[in-house]
Amino acid sequence: MMLPMLTATLKALLPCALILLTGFPFLKERPAAKLHRVEIVQMKFSPSSLSVQPGDTVVFVNLDVVTHDVTEASGKSWRSPPLAAKDSWKKVVRTSANYYCSFHPVMKGTITVQ
Amino acid sequence: MKRFEKITMKATALLLSVFAFGTTVLAQGNPTLSDAEVASAAVTANQIDIDFAAIAKEKSKNTQVLEFARTMANDHQAVIDQAVALTEKLSVTPKDNAVSQQLKADAEKTKEQLRAKSGKAFDRAYIDNEVSYHTAVIAAVKDILIPETENAELKDLLTSVVPALEAHLEHAKMIQHKMSGK
Ligand SMILES: [Cu+2]
Repeated sequence: MMLPMLTATLKALLPCALILLTGFPFLKERPAAKLHRVEIVQMKFSPSSLSVQPGDTVVFVNLDVVTHDVTEASGKSWRSPPLAAKDSWKKVVRTSANYYCSFHPVMKGTITVQ
Repeated sequence: MKRFEKITMKATALLLSVFAFGTTVLAQGNPTLSDAEVASAAVTANQIDIDFAAIAKEKSKNTQVLEFARTMANDHQAVIDQAVALTEKLSVTPKDNAVSQQLKADAEKTKEQLRAKSGKAFDRAYIDNEVSYHTAVIAAVKDILIPETENAELKDLLTSVVPALEAHLEHAKMIQHKMSGK
């Protein structure tokens, strides 16, 4: 009675075991994701243009006194919450984007995914 | 159209008068502004733009204008909070003076003119005034307040406010440009 069930479980676990033994080959193919820092200072994104690898994380840090945000420019496909002084916000980036601050539309930046 | 141009010209003239007045007061060499008076003028200049924004919030139905006004209210309040925190730290009590008084007197006239308008005419007058007001305040901060300030931290604070004022000015010009296109 128990034996067929056990076999089924083992069969299901086998691929997992193989992956464990081979050490996640599909993850090893690309280098570890990097963390990039964009400072918001004196009403500018710095650096205002940034090159990243797909899957990298960008952290935006507001060093100004006034509140800013980070809003995707083409169709607001993503947007940070309002970032008060000293606040920061992280985003994993997979596609290139132009962005701006919705409170101060003259503030603009670019992320290029290579 | 003509009416709002007149108002804009008046607003610009008034602000230029503050600037001219301030420069005259200072050109006489005596009295110069103390740091307590600079702090008062800085807080007053920021408070005035918050007051203008409050009128816009009350009168405008244009999303762009309302969002701009909200940013003005938030940003200028943040600057006031920072200035107040610094004066407390330095044990300086902002002191009323000729520049603050002139700013207030001019602002009262502008507010009256803004309150008399409605609809698109109001939106235009508000944004036109924001353009001239920020232009005048940037000049006053750079050419009067910063040179008059002795304390290094107060000087740094005023200097750090300039990019925000410039971003506000560009933003206001952007809206002004869009409005004139319609
Ligand atoms: Cu901003």
